[in-house]
Amino acid sequence: MEFRPRNYIAERQSHALPRLRAQNHPLSAPSSPLLSQVDVVDHGNNDFFDPLRRSDNNATVSKDDFQDHENTSSETSTQLPTKEWMSFKRFLMQRFPVSKMVSISSISNVIVKGAKAYDKSSTSMHLEELEDPEKYAEEGVKVITRQEYVSRLHELKDEINRSWRANDRVTSLKLSIKVARLLMDTSILQFYPTLFVLAMDIMDMLGDMVWERIIWKAEFAEDGTRLCSLPDNFQASDICSDAKETCNNWFCKIGSIRELLPRIYLELALLPCWRFLVDKPEDCVQRLVMMTRGLADPLASAYCRLYMAHCAQKLPSHDIGYLVKCVNDIKILVMRIISAKETTQGNITNNRRLLVTLMEPTIEYIMKCIFKDASQRQVGNVLVELGLGMNQVELFGSFSCLSIVLHHLLKELPAEVVTSSAVEILHTIECSNDYSFDQCLNYRLVGFRLSERKSRRDIVHAVVDKVTQVMSERNSLDEYLKVVDAYVDIVLQNQMDNHLNTILGGISKRAYNKVVTEDELASLQSILVKLLTHFKVLEDVFALNYFLEILDIMYGSSRSIVNMHILNMATRNSSISDPTSIQLLFEISQALHDDGDFLNTKDDDNQPARLISRFVHVVDYGTEMERHLAFLVECRGAFSSLNELKETLVHSSNCLAIKALKDAKKHLSFVKSCIAFSEVTLPSISAWVKQLYLYLETAEVALLCGLVSHSDGLIDSAINCLLSLDLMDGSRTSIDIEGILSAIQKLCSHLVMVPGNSEQGVTYFPNNILSFVNSRSWMTPRMRTRVFCTILTLTATLSQNKLPYHADHGEIPGNDLLFFGDSSYLRELVSFAEYVLQNLVDTIQQEPSQGARGSMALEACNCIASSFMLSNEISQVCFKLIETARLCLSTSDKYLQSTITRLDINLPKPMVSPSITV
Amino acid sequence: MSIELKLSRASRIYHPSEPLEGKIIVKSSSSISHYGVRLTVNGSVNLQIRGGSAGIIESLYGVVKPISILNKSTEVRPSGKIGSGTTEIPFSMYLRQPGKDNLERFFETFHGANISAQYLVTVDIIRGYLHKTLSATVEFIVESDKADLLERPVSPEMVIFYITQDTQRHPLLLELKSGGFRVTGKMSTQCSLSDPITGELTVEASAVPIYSIDIHLLRVESILLGEKIVTETSLIQSTQIADGDVCHNMTLPIYIILPRLLTCPTILAGPFSIEFKVSVVISFQSQLYKLHPKSDPTTPTLWTAMESLPLELVRTR
Repeated sequence: MEFRPRNYIAERQSHALPRLRAQNHPLSAPSSPLLSQVDVVDHGNNDFFDPLRRSDNNATVSKDDFQDHENTSSETSTQLPTKEWMSFKRFLMQRFPVSKMVSISSISNVIVKGAKAYDKSSTSMHLEELEDPEKYAEEGVKVITRQEYVSRLHELKDEINRSWRANDRVTSLKLSIKVARLLMDTSILQFYPTLFVLAMDIMDMLGDMVWERIIWKAEFAEDGTRLCSLPDNFQASDICSDAKETCNNWFCKIGSIRELLPRIYLELALLPCWRFLVDKPEDCVQRLVMMTRGLADPLASAYCRLYMAHCAQKLPSHDIGYLVKCVNDIKILVMRIISAKETTQGNITNNRRLLVTLMEPTIEYIMKCIFKDASQRQVGNVLVELGLGMNQVELFGSFSCLSIVLHHLLKELPAEVVTSSAVEILHTIECSNDYSFDQCLNYRLVGFRLSERKSRRDIVHAVVDKVTQVMSERNSLDEYLKVVDAYVDIVLQNQMDNHLNTILGGISKRAYNKVVTEDELASLQSILVKLLTHFKVLEDVFALNYFLEILDIMYGSSRSIVNMHILNMATRNSSISDPTSIQLLFEISQALHDDGDFLNTKDDDNQPARLISRFVHVVDYGTEMERHLAFLVECRGAFSSLNELKETLVHSSNCLAIKALKDAKKHLSFVKSCIAFSEVTLPSISAWVKQLYLYLETAEVALLCGLVSHSDGLIDSAINCLLSLDLMDGSRTSIDIEGILSAIQKLCSHLVMVPGNSEQGVTYFPNNILSFVNSRSWMTPRMRTRVFCTILTLTATLSQNKLPYHADHGEIPGNDLLFFGDSSYLRELVSFAEYVLQNLVDTIQQEPSQGARGSMALEACNCIASSFMLSNEISQVCFKLIETARLCLSTSDKYLQSTITRLDINLPKPMVSPSITV
Repeated sequence: MSIELKLSRASRIYHPSEPLEGKIIVKSSSSISHYGVRLTVNGSVNLQIRGGSAGIIESLYGVVKPISILNKSTEVRPSGKIGSGTTEIPFSMYLRQPGKDNLERFFETFHGANISAQYLVTVDIIRGYLHKTLSATVEFIVESDKADLLERPVSPEMVIFYITQDTQRHPLLLELKSGGFRVTGKMSTQCSLSDPITGELTVEASAVPIYSIDIHLLRVESILLGEKIVTETSLIQSTQIADGDVCHNMTLPIYIILPRLLTCPTILAGPFSIEFKVSVVISFQSQLYKLHPKSDPTTPTLWTAMESLPLELVRTR
């Protein structure tokens, strides 16, 4: 057996592809003719689904869909429970969660009675009750669970529905009135919004049913023949008298309800039905607004207006004047609550606060409705109507306003109005200080609204001046932060450096010697993150007065988030060399690392760990390499729990070693300490495959630096690492196996450069690998084949007179120099190769899968053919392998054919069977 | 076997000059032989004396002879047979013969406490001695002929009223009397039956918080009995316009839809009269209210103040 001699340089030249200069960069934008061609293809092919282009192609269809939808929606009555209303209802229920028990006053006897005696003939019972509502009114208060109450309301809803289907519409109406009557009871404040939402569903349902019935009466004759089809914008004159009569009856029935609140609610539910009788149903809304003033209970009254805003939107046209009136009326109610004399203890005050909070959503929703599509002119009118503006021009005078109303007004006001009258708005806020709403939150809101769009420089300056002046008088850190947070963006965008300074100073002054609360932390976090996002260079942020002080008063997750932002910003640069910055960032990293909760997030995407590693990676002390190494040592100590970081540390120290090497020889001791650092750090890396690769990397570096014995030690460690892989048998995945295989391949290619040790024998390392492979039962035949091929190739390479590559451009002598012409060396290699060859051939036969066995045989065959001279012995082996492959694979297999062709040149003629030469 | 009368109008409202139209629906499993199908229309004013200013003796007599307005009968089908299954017999009948001078006065349908004007249509299928006569009766509603009505407009004038502790003729709670209150407003006193009563009301001041403000609609029925007139005032409907202690100086609208059948144009006939009244009742918050929750809303109490206004109801075109 004899190794095939190779001339690597000549081979490379002959096999290299001819190189041509390219016209275009492969990743540059494609030329235009190509693009238009693609477009044409797309248009022709409608099957191709491109979500972005689809709307273009099917524009007409979707429009039709839309119209269809509109038709149905108006037919089944104004079913405008738009998503908005739905989400608003959900918000109401969630915002005011209810305690489990609800005490029921006598008014709600429908609930209590129903829960008890629901089995009785329900209709007769209800009639009784309706005739004499007082009869069931009992003294004292009953308590039922909230769940019972809610489920009873659902039952009522079903009952109303059932009666309606059974043509017993009077019962439906009577039950609906009872439901509306429940809304008169505001004794359990927190429950009211929930009750409202549930009752509203029932009211809306009744309204829709009546609407549909009258539409049906208008469109169909009694015997079911269709008389006409009403257009969406029908007039009262289009409606036949029969339908009008029915509609009128409904309003008469509702009109006869004695109590004001249920009467208003029922009329609101049927509001769209006014269209059958009159052409201007908006007038009814005006009257209803006035009627609602008769409800003295602030909560009931405010929610009634909320329902009004909802119902009025079902009308085809409605102005916003009535909504403004509603807001003004609610305003009066809130003022009344606030100004009521302090009669008893603080409990009442709490109750009042609660009351205002409960009323807030109604103001919010109505404001939204007002500004939904208000024109500039209308906005002016609204402001004048709300008592804020003098006239169309002076939108904000020096009037005060209820701060809760002001808040929601500012929230909805068009951005251009906010920006143009910002200074006046601030003045109004200053005048409006009552406890219905925190004044600071209004200042804050103006800030946010101003940042929505670019505003004039002089206005911005005036506003910020004013706000900082106002806030300078407040001592509460929380308030200060809340307001300032909203203005930081504006201050930064307009480069108002002195204001920034004032703000940061203000924060630090107020936070001095104080434990920062959770809320304050959140605001601080927001402010600091804004600062960090604004500045390009981290040093500029650090240079800000008070920045570090403020950072220091933070703790917990907010602190960690800010720290992460800082690190993220720092590591955006490719290197950090300023020692002060490095020290600061190191401390920040340490803080982040010490925040246990934060690091222990066990997800794959461990952001903090990655950021710290990245930071260590980009640190660059330049020529002060000793210091850099010291830094790495420090990091290893400080961040002992970060696995990821250890890899970075090894990489960095290896890089450092290479850098030192390039610098000059005199650093040899330093290089040694780098390698030592790596060596010491490596064992603590828990991922075996990574550890393996890092051992190899370090070994390579050591070899490059001429530290042959270090390198040998590291290779030993790498192989030991391979051996210890077995310890965790079972938990390995296929990816790991691939990883191990390629690590072994990498190791072998490294061994080409490593000078052989004649004491241990030149085949010491390959031998170790071989015994490793053979001793591991989990190694698949396929993997073994690969490893054997690799080792075979390695031995063949080592036998060459000139190796394909050397460490450090040949300064470390390779085996070609050390053992040139040494026959014992060659002998050792040959005997080793024979042994490997035998293993290889045996292993292939162990592969159970036919296809895999075939390709493995071909792979081995190619490897053997390129490693050895085709002596008779080798040809025999090759022939056997081809036979195996031929049995396993189809004759047309490309790989098989090309292998045969290749061997054909080299194989003696008779060896090829005639059957496959066809 | 069933018989049913179905009028042409779902509202069952007819004017005297119009024909009463509809159909008789007979459902039967076998054929019916009969001696004729007769339709009878009857209208009358029933008077009853009960309570009010009537004495015990008058109450005992109770019913005063009703005043007949209309009594007409016609044969819609001569004697013969009605087949099995559902048979519909249409009919049309003038209440007031057109072209003739009719002296009957058609009072509008009204259902009151002591007085009611009612119109009934009855169908009879006479089947000889052996079988019971099949019959059905339906009430229909009469409203005055449009031609007879006044031209609009109903006077848009409003009566201005004010209610204070000094306008009350009944005793009030001490704190009401001393603290005082003032509620002002205006209301229409002539009103078309098809329109709501409108007006407005403002609480200007009140020392005691208000519990509720209601508008009561009352009927005043008078019957001539011998030489005496017996009058009774009773409540038709009450409508709340303020619930709780409403804000002062805010105008509250008065808007009351007049209930059908329970109202009719104000009548001043010889033997009887039907008039209407509206009263504004302000109830103040008081512990006493809870002690007497079932007191009659029309009677004055210590914690209520009221003001009554006459109301003329008219039928307009």
